[in-house]
Amino acid sequence: MGEENVPSSIVQFAQLDSLLNLGRANSLWPMTFGLACCAIEMMCTGGSRYDISRFGAEVFRPSPRQSDVMIVAGTINKKLELAVKTLYDQMPEPKWVIAMGNCAISGGPFKVKENYNVVEGADKLFPVDVYIPGCPPRPEALLEGIMTLEEKITGKRRWPRVDPG
Amino acid sequence: MDQVVLTNIIYVTIFLIGALLFGFGPIIIVKLLSPSSHTRQTAGRAGQLIECGMEPIGSAWIRFGIIYYLYALIFLAFDVDVLFLFPVAVAYNSPELGLQDFYEILLFVAILSLAIVYAWRKGVFTWEKKTYLHQ
Repeated sequence: MGEENVPSSIVQFAQLDSLLNLGRANSLWPMTFGLACCAIEMMCTGGSRYDISRFGAEVFRPSPRQSDVMIVAGTINKKLELAVKTLYDQMPEPKWVIAMGNCAISGGPFKVKENYNVVEGADKLFPVDVYIPGCPPRPEALLEGIMTLEEKITGKRRWPRVDPG
Repeated sequence: MDQVVLTNIIYVTIFLIGALLFGFGPIIIVKLLSPSSHTRQTAGRAGQLIECGMEPIGSAWIRFGIIYYLYALIFLAFDVDVLFLFPVAVAYNSPELGLQDFYEILLFVAILSLAIVYAWRKGVFTWEKKTYLHQ
């Protein structure tokens, strides 16, 4: 990706912006949009066991014009490339993209010499904010991705970091 | 000017200004605070009407068979029948109802049935695709 022309608002106050960003980070609306098996894990994250609504991101919108986050959950085929790009275009600013799973990061298992039909990573199409590795990532990993995006938006982490050890 | 009238005018003005602020305020605030000048583009398709990513095929102004719509209309005839016969059914066992009331109900149902008879005569109940010009 080349230089990005990120639109900004007309009126800008640092304090007000941080307040707005806090609101945005705590109510990220993802798009109802799944491309492959990672979408199953995304649905699971939306379910009661992992409960994505604890982080304010449960409002999966059926229209790109109402959503903030595009969770690219799965393989992007060449045939779907234009559709995914159109959906990205139709999202209003501010918008963020989470690349979920190895396919959306780099093409994953399809990144081989013989590959002819898979886009090797969502970042070939548009800027990606958070990468979640895994094949597919567990729901906890998606939740961590959402929290990382919140951290990126507000500049500070809302939840304590868990020590994996 | 009378003091009371003046006070009333001031009240109305205050409420009018409040209402205008309530209506236009959010729009202005959103215009000022949201990055709404443009949205980042990859395929230049933000203005596409269909929101599912796919390119729409053809126009939305299409002709489609009207035959099912006629069925919906016939449903209305039965619907009104049922709607008005419920109170009749509730009150029918009352001893005040005589033979004259029975004839009245019969007349009522007969008039409503005319709609069905009309549709029957027009051939609505035979399912055949109507052909139109320009198709």
